[in-house]
Amino acid sequence: MPSWPILTAERHRQLAFGWLFICLMLVAALCWLLPRSPINSSVLALLPKQQLQGVPDDLSRDFSQRLDRQLMWLVSPPAGQGSEAALDWLTTLRQLPALRQVEGPMDAQHQQQWGEFFFQHRNALLDDATRQRLQNSAQAQSQWILGQMYSAFAGVSGKELASDPLLLVRGSQLAQLQNSGGMTPDNGWLTARDKQGRHWYLIHAELNASSYDITSSKQMVARLNGLEQSFRQRFPGAEVLQRGTLFYSNYASQQAEHDISTLGLTSVAGVFLLILLVFRSVLPLLLSLLSIAIGALTGTVFTLAVFGEIHIMTLVLSTSIIGISADYTLYFLTERRVHGGQNTPLESLKKLFPALSVALLTTVAAYLMLLIAPFPGLQQLAVFAASGLSAACLTVMCWYPLLAKNLPVGPAPGLRLIQRWLNAWQNHRALRIGLPLIVVVLILAGFSQLKINDDIGDLQALPKDLQQQERQIAALTGQTNDQKWLVVYGDNAEQTLQRLEALSPKLQQAKAYGVLDGYRLISLPSQKQQAEDLSLLRQRAPEVLSQLAQAGVTLKSPDLSPQWVMPPAWLESVVSQGWRLLWLSLPDGRTATLIPVSGVHDSVAMSQLAASVNGVGWVDRKTEFSQLFSQYRMMLSLLLTLAVAVIACIYLWRFRLPHGLVCLVPTLLSLGMGIAALAFSGHSLNLFSLLALILVLGIGINYTLFFTNPRGTPTTSMLAIFMAVVTTQLTFGMLVFSSTQAISSFGIVLSAGIFTAFLLSPLTLPVSKSGPAS
Amino acid sequence: MIRTVFFLLSLFSLSAQAVTLPELQQRFNQQPVLRADFSQQRQISGMSLPLNSCGNLLIAQKKGLWWQQEKPFLLTLLLTENRMVQTMSGQPSQGITADSNPQMFQFNALLMALFQADQQALEHNFALNFSDKGQGAWQLILTPKTAPLNRLFHTITLNGQEYLNLIDIKDMQGDETHIRFFNQRTEPAALTDAELAHFDR
Repeated sequence: MPSWPILTAERHRQLAFGWLFICLMLVAALCWLLPRSPINSSVLALLPKQQLQGVPDDLSRDFSQRLDRQLMWLVSPPAGQGSEAALDWLTTLRQLPALRQVEGPMDAQHQQQWGEFFFQHRNALLDDATRQRLQNSAQAQSQWILGQMYSAFAGVSGKELASDPLLLVRGSQLAQLQNSGGMTPDNGWLTARDKQGRHWYLIHAELNASSYDITSSKQMVARLNGLEQSFRQRFPGAEVLQRGTLFYSNYASQQAEHDISTLGLTSVAGVFLLILLVFRSVLPLLLSLLSIAIGALTGTVFTLAVFGEIHIMTLVLSTSIIGISADYTLYFLTERRVHGGQNTPLESLKKLFPALSVALLTTVAAYLMLLIAPFPGLQQLAVFAASGLSAACLTVMCWYPLLAKNLPVGPAPGLRLIQRWLNAWQNHRALRIGLPLIVVVLILAGFSQLKINDDIGDLQALPKDLQQQERQIAALTGQTNDQKWLVVYGDNAEQTLQRLEALSPKLQQAKAYGVLDGYRLISLPSQKQQAEDLSLLRQRAPEVLSQLAQAGVTLKSPDLSPQWVMPPAWLESVVSQGWRLLWLSLPDGRTATLIPVSGVHDSVAMSQLAASVNGVGWVDRKTEFSQLFSQYRMMLSLLLTLAVAVIACIYLWRFRLPHGLVCLVPTLLSLGMGIAALAFSGHSLNLFSLLALILVLGIGINYTLFFTNPRGTPTTSMLAIFMAVVTTQLTFGMLVFSSTQAISSFGIVLSAGIFTAFLLSPLTLPVSKSGPAS
Repeated sequence: MIRTVFFLLSLFSLSAQAVTLPELQQRFNQQPVLRADFSQQRQISGMSLPLNSCGNLLIAQKKGLWWQQEKPFLLTLLLTENRMVQTMSGQPSQGITADSNPQMFQFNALLMALFQADQQALEHNFALNFSDKGQGAWQLILTPKTAPLNRLFHTITLNGQEYLNLIDIKDMQGDETHIRFFNQRTEPAALTDAELAHFDR
């Protein structure tokens, strides 16, 4: 027994009160932090912060916040009916206080204002086609005007010719129609028609709140679903499609909530059942609960203090910590149950202190390694686990020698079985060599069918009905939701617009080459462009008019005064409706505009295109993240190899050859088996699997450490390890059943790896002729 | 009983003579190819002289409409199921597809619907008033009910007998267009090679 004179009973009592004080402080901190901290459920928030090439952070953050607020519906009336159903849904939405700017059809007044704005600024708002005709020759424009006049269906009137002889308004309005993205104006509504001939009416709205926590988004989606149901009752046969981050993040958080409630509860129930079985007493149950609760409390407080928020995924993954934090309690209580008759509680603590602290340190070190990955979700998990586990362990050390005084003493169950198992390992070469060999064969078989996939899209699969709606909306509107766009930015609006104009012809070219299928540009010319257009008009107008006169059409000369359009006026006018979303100005004048693109076939060409113009960034979140995923997967593989190498060196230094190498076998095989199990289950290797391997290493190594501890008694170690494995399987194992694929594959690697580490850990016992001492 | 039989008989004989829109549509659909000449007069208010033009056109089932204005300047409009190409002398031809500019396309597709008396396509955009003028002559008055058609056109009136003979367009601004079709030919029933070439551009 190691002597530890510093820790007297009195000193320990002081420590216990000190820890109580800290815990009370933590409760107070939680009460203060909780109402101030949102729970984040955005899947994208789990991913690394945007690394946009050059796009200022504030601009890209404001844009993504704004995009997350957007909601869109497509309403199709029952067969044979007009827009009444769409109007009804619009009215319903307008009554919701959580929504603003609910936009449906453009009414007659707005349509008139729309025309007026174009008319008042016709000399400034030249469309590309008109500009091109004028640049070619006056002939091109006069021919075009004649074509419009002679056309029976173009509807050119005498009034139009008198007020706008060059038909500039007509030109820019035709261009606007081209820019409407595959949708058709119909009585002011934007509509689309599907292959079956159904008409779909577009409604757009914005959420009022800037960020949505789980409860309010759940309420909002429930409210909308309820409204939709009664809408369908009013209009049987009507269809509603919806799109918006709200729906996706709500789905993700519902899944997570489901995971927490079912998996978390099952874990807790399983752990409690195990404790009851082993100890046949309620006290250990309460003590485990206490250390778990204090662990969770500390984890939450630290996470909130460091990050200011907690992510829903962190909460799901932290259910796994229940198992580990229960281990410390179980380890101590097992010791007390077996040796409670011979030692005082304080002596037991002194005996276990080295093992407990080493186990804590390795696990915490493994979790802290997750901090390296730039994923906010995992960083939160690392902080949560490291602080939570430390607190759980401190609770055991500071309080349980006092609280576990009345624990009934008795033999541990299953001790004979354990003894037989350990004897077999030490005496039967068939087991010592055969079992690891079988594992090696399994690993080789698994590796032969292992696939690597860094595609993030596969990790956040939407449910079938949302996917179906997505496809339908993309087909109807021609706008996919694949989060790809170009950002053009500048120090002020004018610079941004000039850069946009420099980019525009290149985009047109890229479209012609098939790099992308389509894009949408705001149609606001820069001041420079407006000035150039005006002088072009002044240069060509007399010639155009004389050519028209020769063809027998005499018109009066156009008014060619400047009609500048400044960005603020454009933003306030009705013509920017539906486009304002793509324009963002910061108070300091910096401005950016988004160009949504669709059908991108070559992301590399797009980023080259963006690089060829100053102040243009290509944002392709998915491709970017997939690259990042593979980058960090490589990095973690390297890190893992390094960690194994360090462990190998330590083993060799401590145990010499050949036992040092033998001790390394369970570690290596547990890592291999984790990956093999992943392959067998049909999942592919990604970053998350590597992160799970780090935990396999950090937790699995404890088992080896317990056995190699010269002071430990193998049977008690084995019992403690056995209980630790069961609790770990109950928690990490439960993650296998998570409905989120990333978490499920994380669970598979962990539970298979840790089980292998457990299975092979007796290999590290020194071979002896006699059986292990009990 | 006798009276009922008489009534039914009279109804039968009446419907045998009268022209109905579905019947007309069916009849037009049975013509695989129609060729015609047209002359158009467009009167724009405030302009002293009307704008006169003339040319010819070709409608082929499953192919589309080819409309060529020959005077006073050459202008060709090709309209197929999913694209529209307008060509003017000395200018690059302007093509649009149903995907790139649905509204413009829908607008021009109406032209096709007019020639084929396509009731369904017309009914979505217009209130239809079909009347039998006797001796096989008929009149169809279209009043637009959807924007932007209702801001452009007051009425579009079609007159015909065996073929469509006259289109009168009254614009909202008081302007008028009259298109007269004549010299209609349905033979040969198949497109000649030269005619086929029009649709291949």
